[in-house]
Amino acid sequence: MKHGRYPFILSFLALPVGLYAWLVILPFAQAFQISLTDWSGSSNSFEYIGFDNYVNLFKDERLVLPALRHTGIILVVLPVVTIALGLFFAFMLNLGGRVRRGRIEGVRGARFHKVVYFFPQVLSVAIIGILWKQVYAPENFGGLITGALTSVGLPAPVNGFLADKRMVLAAVIAVLVWSAVGFYLVFFSSAMASIPRDLYEAAIIDGAGRGPMFFRITLPLLWDSVQTAWIYLSIVALDVFVLIYMMTPERGGPDAASEVVGGVIWKYAFNHGEQAFASALGVVLFFAALSLAVVSLRFGRRERIEF
Amino acid sequence: MRNTSADKHPMFNRRNLFGATAAGLAASSLAACATSGGDGDGQEVTVGDDAENPFDVDPKAPLDVVIFDGGFGNEYAVAHQAIYKEAFPDAEITHLATQAIAETQQPRFAEGKPADVLDNSGAQQIPMDALVSDGELAELTPLLEAPSFDDPNVTVLDTLRDGVLKAGTFNGKVYALNYVFNAWTIWYDAKLFRDQGWTPPTTWDEMLALCPQIQAAGIAPWTYAGQHPVYLYDMFLMLAGRHGGVQVLKDIDNLKDGAWGHESVVLAAEAMHGLGSAGYLLDGSAGIDHIQSQTSFNNNEAAFLPCGSWLPNEQKAIAPEGFEYAPMGVPPLEGSVQPGLISAGGDEPFVVPKNATNLAGAYEYLRIMLSKEGSQIFSDAVQATTVVKGVELENETAKMTDALVSNPDDMFQPQFRYWYTKMNEEVRPALGQLINAETTPEEFIARMQTVADETAADDTIEKFTHED
Repeated sequence: MKHGRYPFILSFLALPVGLYAWLVILPFAQAFQISLTDWSGSSNSFEYIGFDNYVNLFKDERLVLPALRHTGIILVVLPVVTIALGLFFAFMLNLGGRVRRGRIEGVRGARFHKVVYFFPQVLSVAIIGILWKQVYAPENFGGLITGALTSVGLPAPVNGFLADKRMVLAAVIAVLVWSAVGFYLVFFSSAMASIPRDLYEAAIIDGAGRGPMFFRITLPLLWDSVQTAWIYLSIVALDVFVLIYMMTPERGGPDAASEVVGGVIWKYAFNHGEQAFASALGVVLFFAALSLAVVSLRFGRRERIEF
Repeated sequence: MRNTSADKHPMFNRRNLFGATAAGLAASSLAACATSGGDGDGQEVTVGDDAENPFDVDPKAPLDVVIFDGGFGNEYAVAHQAIYKEAFPDAEITHLATQAIAETQQPRFAEGKPADVLDNSGAQQIPMDALVSDGELAELTPLLEAPSFDDPNVTVLDTLRDGVLKAGTFNGKVYALNYVFNAWTIWYDAKLFRDQGWTPPTTWDEMLALCPQIQAAGIAPWTYAGQHPVYLYDMFLMLAGRHGGVQVLKDIDNLKDGAWGHESVVLAAEAMHGLGSAGYLLDGSAGIDHIQSQTSFNNNEAAFLPCGSWLPNEQKAIAPEGFEYAPMGVPPLEGSVQPGLISAGGDEPFVVPKNATNLAGAYEYLRIMLSKEGSQIFSDAVQATTVVKGVELENETAKMTDALVSNPDDMFQPQFRYWYTKMNEEVRPALGQLINAETTPEEFIARMQTVADETAADDTIEKFTHED
């Protein structure tokens, strides 16, 4: 390397790296530091108490453990359902239609459907929360689903879906899927468009049906996209907080039936005045996210097919 | 290849320089970060002889006021600041009105640069127990001992209604001035009751007997803000306290062993459970917020609603023609020994941080708030009374409330919700489950006794007790 090149590059990097270190890395590092203290968040005095916060974390039957369970459920259900629906719709829109003159087409009005499915993506999360809160409301307070159910004679929860301990989490997950599936439909569609058509035409000639076509051709060739979607959705699942905050009674209720890790961090930090405990939970979430990304990238690795 | 020292050194120096810069950046950012604020000087304010300026306020010192911009708005605070400005024309006043108290003010405490006067109210209030046990608040003793704004011969303390300081008192020390006078009551529409020929029930059994009649008129007997079960807190505790006397509630607050298992508390839990299991709640109540429950109440879809004194003012603009908001204490259970007990006192806590830059100015500002004029400004602006004596509202509802709180011995605000955040977080969902008959009274009692025992056993939680 030529003399003087390093300082030159470094002089350019100093500012962005410095800002990154200051605004991203340091707060993270400080969360680690804080998590070892008993800091309340509203004073400037604290003591180091070792790993007590971490120990107590896993004894908290009221908020933390339910939150970990619920986040775990979301972590499994959200990616699986969203990716399955996204792939199904994308496949139908691209390849679900009739075979015309040896060429395979999507279902009728595919472009229109694509736009419609994408709509929720345009709405901000806050709007989605308010919208669905009303959809799920009790029947005599204008709830859409409860009203529809009773009008066809089916039983509906009298206090709406969000006030019911057994249904609130499923209701929130359904909204998450609803708002995410459009994006992944478009995402998988564009990935499918890059798969050469002759592969499908060859399969049709060999007499393959829609099912084998999907599982033998489409899915293997989309594996990279599926993996990316999986990681994105996992991050969304770990991060889900805004919807819980907007929609559910007592921001995680009723009676902790929809607490998630992000919400519990917020509650401990600002409602309980236990910043240190909240930081400890934040650190746990950080490592969970990190290992999730590493694991899914490692185990998802497959041989790449060139085409 | 050989390097001369001259070749080496500049590089070394530059690297050094870079390292130093990075270290400097890290150090300065640490200083700006959460946990590293400096301690204030902890100034002392004493009460001087000058009745005009008892705290010896520096006339040029700026004053930093933060107001919770909730149901009462913040116009009244602007008017209070105008009075302050009149007395100290050179003082620059910073006025912030916000709902996000914790998000905006907690970091300032941590930095050691809090506001001078903070209205620590609303859903995002900073937990009082944390502020008190961290020693972040100044005692209000100088304020209470100072001569009042209107009459130098009367102390500020003597201008206040009885018992209104209890809510801001932690182990005998007053840390918060709860400015608004509030009573938690059960509300009904007096006109509806007159038209239907119903007598407002004076006992729980009368209420239960009336419920089928109310239902027969196509009206649900009860509703409440199911998404915020905190509205049930005072109703439930008064039911227990009326039955067994105020000591039952003091024992609960004092975390006395087995306090929740007291017969009166069990009976109250059974009564609450009974409302849900008998189907006396408006359908959907568990899923609605306070606006929806109050709207249902306004529309005569439900007959009774538990709420605070602010209800008529809050509904002023939308109350239906002829609707008469009438408050009553929760109908007492059979055999109640203190049937007049009522949860009433100060609400809307104003605090002065210990590290406030202008501590004297903060006390003076509170003194102005508690003046006749300051109190009248508030009452005129929001149709609610302050904790100052002698400012009365000329309307029927206010008079009815006054009648309910006429006996100071019957006024008691249960405190454990403010003293122990953990118990607050437990009692709200537990009450929601109880009134909807999702849990049994026994489960409810056991659940609350468990969290009380856990709180009592936890050495890291600072304990508070009632003096008497």
